[in-house]
Amino acid sequence: MPGLVGPDEVRRVAQAALEIPGADGVEVLFLHEWGGLTRFASSSIHQSTWREDTAIRVRVVSGDRVGVAASNELSPKGARRAAESAREIAGVSSPDPLFPGLAPPDPIEDAGRYDEGTAAATPRIRAEAVADLVAACPEGFVAAGAYETVASEVAVANTEGQFCWAPSTQASITTVVGGGEGGSGFAERFAPRMQDLDPAGIGRRAADKAVASIRPKDLEPGRYPVVLEPSAVSTLVGFLAWIGFGGRVLAEGRSCLSGKEGQPVAVPSITIFDDASAPGTLGLPFDFEGVRRARVDLIRDGVFLDGVYDRRTAKQTGKASTGHALPAPNPEGPLPLNLFMRPGEHALEDMIAGTERGLLITRFHYSNVVHPVESTITGMTRDGTFWIEGGEIAHPVKNLRFTQSILEALAQVSMVGRETELASEFFYSASRVPALKVGSFNFSGRSDH
Amino acid sequence: MRAVQAAKAAGADYADARVVSDGSESITVRNQTMEGIHRSASEGIGLRVLVNGYWGFAATARLEPEDIERTASVAAEIARAASRLPMEPVRLAEVEPVSGTWHSPMQEDPFNVPLEEKIALLMEATRRMQSVDGLAFAEGGIDLYRRRTFLATSEGTAVEQTTVHSGAGIEAVALGDGELQRRSFPNSFRGHVAAAGWEHVQKLGLIEEAERTATEAVELLSAKECPSEVTTLVIDSGQLELQIHESIGHPVELDRVLGMEEAYAGSSFVRPEDRGRLRYASDLVSITADATLPGGLGSFGWDDEGVPAQRVPIIVDGVFENFLSSRETARLLGLPSSGAMRADGWQNLPLIRMTNVSIEPREGSLADIIGDTEDGIFMATNTSWSIDDHRVNFQFGCEIAWRIKGGRLTEMYRNPNYTGITTEFWRSCDAVGGREDWTLWGTPNCGKGQPGQVARVGHGAAPARFRKVQVGVRG
Repeated sequence: MPGLVGPDEVRRVAQAALEIPGADGVEVLFLHEWGGLTRFASSSIHQSTWREDTAIRVRVVSGDRVGVAASNELSPKGARRAAESAREIAGVSSPDPLFPGLAPPDPIEDAGRYDEGTAAATPRIRAEAVADLVAACPEGFVAAGAYETVASEVAVANTEGQFCWAPSTQASITTVVGGGEGGSGFAERFAPRMQDLDPAGIGRRAADKAVASIRPKDLEPGRYPVVLEPSAVSTLVGFLAWIGFGGRVLAEGRSCLSGKEGQPVAVPSITIFDDASAPGTLGLPFDFEGVRRARVDLIRDGVFLDGVYDRRTAKQTGKASTGHALPAPNPEGPLPLNLFMRPGEHALEDMIAGTERGLLITRFHYSNVVHPVESTITGMTRDGTFWIEGGEIAHPVKNLRFTQSILEALAQVSMVGRETELASEFFYSASRVPALKVGSFNFSGRSDH
Repeated sequence: MRAVQAAKAAGADYADARVVSDGSESITVRNQTMEGIHRSASEGIGLRVLVNGYWGFAATARLEPEDIERTASVAAEIARAASRLPMEPVRLAEVEPVSGTWHSPMQEDPFNVPLEEKIALLMEATRRMQSVDGLAFAEGGIDLYRRRTFLATSEGTAVEQTTVHSGAGIEAVALGDGELQRRSFPNSFRGHVAAAGWEHVQKLGLIEEAERTATEAVELLSAKECPSEVTTLVIDSGQLELQIHESIGHPVELDRVLGMEEAYAGSSFVRPEDRGRLRYASDLVSITADATLPGGLGSFGWDDEGVPAQRVPIIVDGVFENFLSSRETARLLGLPSSGAMRADGWQNLPLIRMTNVSIEPREGSLADIIGDTEDGIFMATNTSWSIDDHRVNFQFGCEIAWRIKGGRLTEMYRNPNYTGITTEFWRSCDAVGGREDWTLWGTPNCGKGQPGQVARVGHGAAPARFRKVQVGVRG
């Protein structure tokens, strides 16, 4: 198994790019990642993989012209070649009047999210964990899913003198247990260390859902109160991050939150913030242009405060970068990748008990934007949708299509869960969110299972 | 071949190795300002092995002999670990070993075209869009990809292939009064990508269509909302390609049918026993997966298992006939592979992916179909897609729509969308356009698998008409 390249070697490789003549500034983004994924279906391991890759992405500045080139050749020669290509691009590019210059020096301490055991996880260890998960399936039910262990190191070096390096690990298990007559249950867990995953517990949770969801009944589409488990809430928060919280879409009037700074956009029990340094999340202490990731309060007590910024959108808006740049070039602008929704005081059971008629939603599936400015998205329920009657789960229902404004839902939240879970709606992002009870949620269609 | 030998030495009963070199170039211009130019290069090797009937796969960018030997050992170790959960050992459908080379068709290598020429094209297109009053953003993009693959298997196959994919598009965005409206050309999500060279980009007509595209975006701001009703729906070929992709292409992937994708994007309502029996669509609908189509993003000489490119009827006159398959999955049904295994670069193992899954053209133009429609709605250019985990209930959004009255387009609508149930929808199809409005589109962003892979696939599509469709879904 490979190990960390380490900051000294990264500096040596990067230096070959930083020293390229004829450039006014150079930035090197270094990524090294390795890990394995044990994929299973029908309670057997059918597609297991391992890979190691590197990327050296060089941004060269010539006046206010910028070029970017990347290579996966981990050597001074590879870095130099990428830099030469980026310099050629910068030479013919047109000026970018919003280019803010490269990040200044700022020593950023390691977040301590690297676990040697997770980095060195073997296929045998993952296979044993999957076996523990599968063992939780009762007779007639099978599990599908993936157990992944990944290690990475990311560094940014530039000619302004900034250098930051951070290693991290991530482990995750996602599973769908199915069987019986239409039974399907889901559970997942993400953590920086594989020891924190509890594969058997994940299997039991998904299996319990699957057993409870056999023989689902039809339900007419319409508006219903819903209790959303954390995985479902992560979909709403993840999409809100994408279409709402980025400094560029905010500044350009394309966000559902443009012009709403200082205004209530949700009930007072809703607070959403981004904080890469907080315990309980994944990721890096700096962004992909070497700026420290700041904690940003996005919605506090129901009031929208502001979004997140990279150096370019900071210049565009006259604000400071919050450290949320994605790798250059990035026409989409900055994004929050470490979201938190503040927990409340209610147990999930309290939310169900407090619902006279409504739905319990385990998760959403294949969601997409319908109307970005209204924050309306559509998607399906999946792997455990239940009808609540008289404060108790009455029976499972077949999957429903929702078409719903996220902000409208957040304005109708009546209960916030006290437990939070880390979930990931998009690659490279994670949201730690609680369950929510929403007074009215729009279901516009249904499926046959 | 050294990698295959290393895998055999590590205990593999079967092994294949792919050395892949990927190169790409992407340019984005917005409002005559450079948003970014990016080039990337990536090279590595992916090794797939079968040990006692269990798969293992390992990949590395390090290509020294000792690295390849270590990677082969890891692949074998993965395969042995998989036996912790016993299953029926994997067996592969037979395929004749082949050797040879293949290149996608290309007249002018797009990577040799000066950057200045590419930038000038996008600058002029965005300038023309910006000449339209009321437009907020005018964006243009060019995306170029080159992939060289050398595949060797322990059965004796040794093939080398080079594909070049070129694409470009423009997008106009108008903002106002809580609305964001966009129009794209020639298609949304960065345009039209094809297996071709720079000549494809030059023929797209980005500059010629810029002003019309921008004008429609601005007009949409003041258009009425698409009404909510059950009506006759006509969709353009750009939208039909994604309808095919989501509600036919994915459901007939045999790995999905067999539950291998269950935990990620889900399975399929189609069952193995549905071949030759399932009335999938009306008898006007015939769907073919053709990896031999010139210009298709899903075209190749051999798939990543060394199976020759082929033309496979998927739906014939409305009846489902064949799956997209691999050597492993086809063997389970006692069939030969359909040759649909492709991997996203060297880093990933091959999965069943769409090739060029296309609707066969029938008769008439888009104008003919509209002219033959008394009352309905015409929608064009996709903005949004969603489908359930069995590929049954779908909802699509489009950029623009018009009311059809008496065979003519009348009032424009904004925010159009439609929803339906896959087989009900396809069975309601009563018109499919002819060759004159049939386009071989590219879908360069098809996601599948864990770890996630992105494939570039092709879809030939014509405009088509569907009856009794729910349109205008509101939140």
